[in-house]
This record gives sequence, structure tokens and C-alpha cells, in this order.
Amino acid sequence: MRLLVLVGVFMASLVHAEDAAIREDVMSVKNAVLDLNRDLYELERQLLSPATTRAAFHITLNHGEYFEPLSVELSVDGQAEIQHLYTERQVKALRMGAVQPLGDLNLAPGKHDVTLIVRGVDHLGQGRELSITESVTKTSKPLITEFLIVDYEELQSARVELKYW
Amino acid sequence: MGIVSRWMAVMLVLFLSSFSVIASAGDERAAALKPGDMVPDFTMPATNGFGQRLAEARGSFLMLIWLGRCDECSERLVRYQLLAESMALEGMKGWFVWTPRGDDRPPKMRLPVLEYDQKWRQSWLFEDRPAVMLINADGRLDHLITGDLKDNYKETEQVVMRWISQGRDYQLSE
Repeated sequence: MRLLVLVGVFMASLVHAEDAAIREDVMSVKNAVLDLNRDLYELERQLLSPATTRAAFHITLNHGEYFEPLSVELSVDGQAEIQHLYTERQVKALRMGAVQPLGDLNLAPGKHDVTLIVRGVDHLGQGRELSITESVTKTSKPLITEFLIVDYEELQSARVELKYW
Repeated sequence: MGIVSRWMAVMLVLFLSSFSVIASAGDERAAALKPGDMVPDFTMPATNGFGQRLAEARGSFLMLIWLGRCDECSERLVRYQLLAESMALEGMKGWFVWTPRGDDRPPKMRLPVLEYDQKWRQSWLFEDRPAVMLINADGRLDHLITGDLKDNYKETEQVVMRWISQGRDYQLSE
């Protein structure tokens, strides 16, 4: 009888050890999957937007006393690339200092004409359109830019400026 | 072509194709909306102020009125506007969606009049217009009333009253 109990306990401990080993295996497989997923994500990111072609565009609103944006369109070399419609909440966020990432584009190294058109209303409620066209040079490094909508006190108006980060 | 580069090419194709599948699935879902469905998000410019985004209306009841042909048809919409305004205290919003045709001009309303233009990729158009959609606070379509807005006003009013009171009861019981 005692022998049977001992064998039973031994078998149970064997099963327990096996369970622990399986759990460990499962954990290591899970970790491997997570690592693989991370590698895949990084690979996708590098494939879709490598540093040599990465161009990121942002927009900010400085005060916004003379201009409220309603929509924005960005084109590169005459090709419409990015568009966005603003809601009241988003304009409030911009007024409070938010930096809006307009989007990332892939640009080949070299010169490109970048045009930004912002439609909105001025402080009198009249429709206004601000635009800027700049020739930017893309090098092998990422191009990170910011369009600033700034008040132009002298003319009680606003204008767009381009800033490189 | 090496195994690694072939594998990378396959991954790239799969990744890019997923975008087109998602985009077309969104359009199809919008075209075939029925009560109980989640309403796909959109942002549209307004003819009378800021653009509106559906996701930002979450937490409120929304009466979304898709207009048929409308050239300054404000008079036809006044009753709907009053209905939405009278329910504002109950947390209901009302938006009109207008699609310009030819030289048509938008209605002049106090409520937002959204203008559909296919150039804005963030928007979609409901085909079965005119129609009234009652979208609950979770963004789900609770009621869909299609057909002439003038003929359907009474029905819309009754459904809205019932819908709002049921929603209020539900919130109180939670």
C-alpha cells in the first residue's frame, strides 16, 4: 500500500514537472511571437518609410486671432497628397498649442515643390485662403517640417510659414 | 531572388492589400447600413461653420438627416431643426447632410449643414436619400427612416420622442 502511494506521488510530481516544462515552452513561444511581431513592424516601417525617403509634415496655429482653419490640403510637385478637415475641437486643441502631424510621405532625395493650402475664416467671419509654396530639398536624412499659421498683426491677417525641425 | 527578399516582397504586398480591403469594406458597410449596425466614422465640412466628425458626437444622440435634392430648401427642414433643438436639452444633436448638384445652394440653417464632396477622403455618402438616421450615444444606428422628409416628419417625430425617452430610461437604470 505504502509503495502504491509513493509511486502515485512520484507520478504526480512527474506530471507537475511536465506541466511546468510545457508552460515554460508556451511562454517562450509567446515571447518569440512578440519578438517576431516587433521585428515585422520595424521591417514594415523601414520598408514603407525608410530614412532616405521619409518626409514628415506637421501644422501648428500660433494664437489664431485672425484666422480659423477649416481644412488643409498639402500637395507635393503638383500631386495632392494629404488633406484634412477640422472640427471645432481640433481647432481648440491647435489654439492651445497642439502640434498636428499632417502625415508622413515618401520623397525621393532631391528638390520638391511643396504647397500647403489652408482654407478657413478670418476674424470677421469671411472666407480666407492661406497658401505657401516652398521648394524643399530632401537629402538622405529624414525631412521633418512644420507649417506655422501665424498672426500678422500689421495687416490684421495671418500667414503660413515653413519651419524645418 | 533570395528567400529573404521574396519573403519581404510577400509581406509588403499583404500589408498594402490590407489597406485597400479595409477602405472598400468601409464604403460597403456605409452603403448597406441597417439598424443595429455601427455607423462608420466620417468628417465633413459644413457650409455654416466648422466641419463635424461623427466620432466626436459619441455620447450624444444624433439625428443625421441626409437630404435629397435641395436648393435652398430651408423651409422643408425647419420642422426637423425645431425637433432637434427641442431635444437639445435631452442631449440630442441634429446635423443635415447636403449634396450639391448643379447650381444648387445649401439651406440656411442654425444646425450644422454638412456638405458631402467626394474629394474629402474622410467622408462617405449614404445612397438611399433622403433619409433620417437616429444614431445612439455608442455610435450605433438605432432607427433608419427613408423616403420623402415631408411625408415622414410625423413618423420621425414619434420615433424620436420614443427613442429619447427610452434612452433616458436606460441611462437612469444604469
